[in-house]
Amino acid sequence: MAAALLLVSSILFSCLAASCHGVTLSSLQKTLIVFVTASPSPGQVLKAGEDSITLTWSFNNSFPARTDSAYKTVQVKLCFAPISQQDRAWRKTEDNLVKDKTCQYKIVAKPYSPSNNTFSWTVQRDVPTGTYFVRAYAYNSADEEVAYGQTTDAHKTNNLFQVKAISGRHVSLDIASICFSSFSIVSLFGFFFLEKRRAKHSQEN
Amino acid sequence: MWPSRLHKKLYVTPQSTISPFKLIAQAAECGQADCTRSQSVLRIWKSLKLANIQRLSNMEVSYGAPPESVQKKFALPVDSEHKATEFRLFSVAAPHMRAFHLSWVSFFACFVSTFAAPPLLPIIRDDLDLTATDIGNAGIAAVSGAAFARVAMGTACDLFGPRLASSALTLITAPAVYCTAIANSPASFILVRFFTGFSLATFVSTQFWMSSLFSSKVVGTANGVAGGWGNLGGGATQLIMPLVFDLIHNIGATKFTAWRIAFFIPALFQTLSAYGIFFLGQDLPDGNYSQLHKSGDKHKDNFSQVFYHAITNYRGWILALTYGYCFGVELTIDNIIAQYFYDRFNVNLHTAGIIAASFGLANLFSRPAGGILSDIMAKRYGMRGRLWTLWIVQTLGGIFCIFLGKVGSLGVSIAVMIIFSVFVQAACGLTFGIVPFVSRRSLGIVSGMTGGGGNVGAVLTQVIFFRGSRYSTETGITLMGIMIICCSLVIMSIYFPQWGGMFCGPSSKVTTEEDYYMSEWNSAEKERGIHMASMKFSENSRSERGRRVESAPTPINGTPSTYV
Repeated sequence: MAAALLLVSSILFSCLAASCHGVTLSSLQKTLIVFVTASPSPGQVLKAGEDSITLTWSFNNSFPARTDSAYKTVQVKLCFAPISQQDRAWRKTEDNLVKDKTCQYKIVAKPYSPSNNTFSWTVQRDVPTGTYFVRAYAYNSADEEVAYGQTTDAHKTNNLFQVKAISGRHVSLDIASICFSSFSIVSLFGFFFLEKRRAKHSQEN
Repeated sequence: MWPSRLHKKLYVTPQSTISPFKLIAQAAECGQADCTRSQSVLRIWKSLKLANIQRLSNMEVSYGAPPESVQKKFALPVDSEHKATEFRLFSVAAPHMRAFHLSWVSFFACFVSTFAAPPLLPIIRDDLDLTATDIGNAGIAAVSGAAFARVAMGTACDLFGPRLASSALTLITAPAVYCTAIANSPASFILVRFFTGFSLATFVSTQFWMSSLFSSKVVGTANGVAGGWGNLGGGATQLIMPLVFDLIHNIGATKFTAWRIAFFIPALFQTLSAYGIFFLGQDLPDGNYSQLHKSGDKHKDNFSQVFYHAITNYRGWILALTYGYCFGVELTIDNIIAQYFYDRFNVNLHTAGIIAASFGLANLFSRPAGGILSDIMAKRYGMRGRLWTLWIVQTLGGIFCIFLGKVGSLGVSIAVMIIFSVFVQAACGLTFGIVPFVSRRSLGIVSGMTGGGGNVGAVLTQVIFFRGSRYSTETGITLMGIMIICCSLVIMSIYFPQWGGMFCGPSSKVTTEEDYYMSEWNSAEKERGIHMASMKFSENSRSERGRRVESAPTPINGTPSTYV
């Protein structure tokens, strides 16, 4: 997997009033260009909590100049690639963005500017193991999605990167588990022994 | 004045199981003066037996001056078997009420441990990279282990006593809960849930213990409250575990570590409850199995005989099937209901968890209500009342289950779910109002079979209706309701010759409770006098005739041949 991921895409932005049910992805236009640079080296699986990625996003100038007039803020999110969504209904992609669960991890939110946006993000410790891409949404002043851009293509097949989660295990936890478990088993033998002794004792009485 | 061994046998349990032959043999060892006394005692003994022992529970054998310390006093009124005839919820008097509280608390702890994972699944599934199939399999694994373990537990109770059996099982499964904290893959997750699920077999020891300590008048109530308050753990855990997790997470642990630490709480609770049972509990009103075995007061029964009489009694199998469609349904719902509300009505996960908890929390009153109802119906209508009530309540549960799948709005759905939970859980309580009467000798295994049947029902139902995408969850729920109604019909085939069944009265040949319960012992065993506990039980179970007790036939073979 190439560490330096570049994707250039261009879509016209269209002013879309959000419907009561929520904005749908298909109604948005891909007017943003998002770059992701993962460090430190190509082919490496990113470790949660340790490795970082650098993101760059900008307005695609192949669109008419005034299309971005309503953009106020940009949110960049980490999204699941299809392979990590398989057999996992809690990560399902829905067109209706209110119900969509593809992008569950917020990377950063910043005020909109057409160019020179970069951000370096250390992969959070609660990001699970999986295959991801990055998507940026542009919001208008009413906090509705009005445009987006992503690092991969429409079918989400290229320029994906992998993250390996922390296990959450610690040596101290392992030791505590083993100790308490052994204590339980030893107690059990203790119970049997005590029981035999009690029975013998009562018989002698 | 009196040799101490003789004291124990004569005074501690005036109606003890010892046969007069043994008594005479001991008297012969004692010397001339004492032999005369024991012969006199023997005469008193015979006259007591003939004078209907039931009226003389708690009496003192007034010959000479029996030492006061030897006469046992119970805090609750007891019958001839020293089983309590009253159920006092707020008492902790040993041995009856104390055992009640110990057993429901430990069963509660086991339920909390077994269902501790579902509320934390959103975190666990990310940590261990679980798929929906893995989660489904883990849910099935959690309830399938106990299907077999419950039968084994029944055997263990029959042979070793409920105190040792349940504390041993609780301690043995505690490591599985501790090791949930170190699971690191889908396979290890399924394994820990599987082994933790074995602890649900403590249900059998709870029911067995209550049936050993409480008389037939209140056994339904005792079983229902103990079972219900234990099952409460399945609902309470949906509230406890997220709270514990939040606490640990806020202290500073990352999410993927916090859930692991959280599992120590149910594990420690389980371990402590095992200690409580071992040190504070007592198997029978008169003592523990091991002591009673050694002193000869309780015969150590033969496993193959106990097992044979359990599996050849068709009533045990029928109750196992019907229990699969009340308790099994309850377990299934515990596993799927949060997801159902989350997906169909788009509530958030927290809300779905609270709704799921309320299903389990209804156990606080609904299962005990089933047990109490069983006892009330038995007072008036006897065993036939118990059977009819079970059939009616369980069928109603099935009807509401069908509605639950059909209803499309959130508020009505929650209301229907709660009504459904009350009926289904009451049916569980009603079932265990009947189980203590199916067999006396093999009570443990019959309880185990019924309890195990509950888990088999849960596995079957989840595999048929709630796995993969063959049926949507709501269709699955409706179909499950239809299956409940169909499987409840077999209750109609339960027939006790001495009491009748749903549609038939008692047998036209005069059959008594003694005939039914004595058929489990062969004549060699009766010679040895080891059937006495069953004799006493059959006398006490006459209350299952309902209002007809006054016109009850006297037992033809009532006086056992060992008494001359």
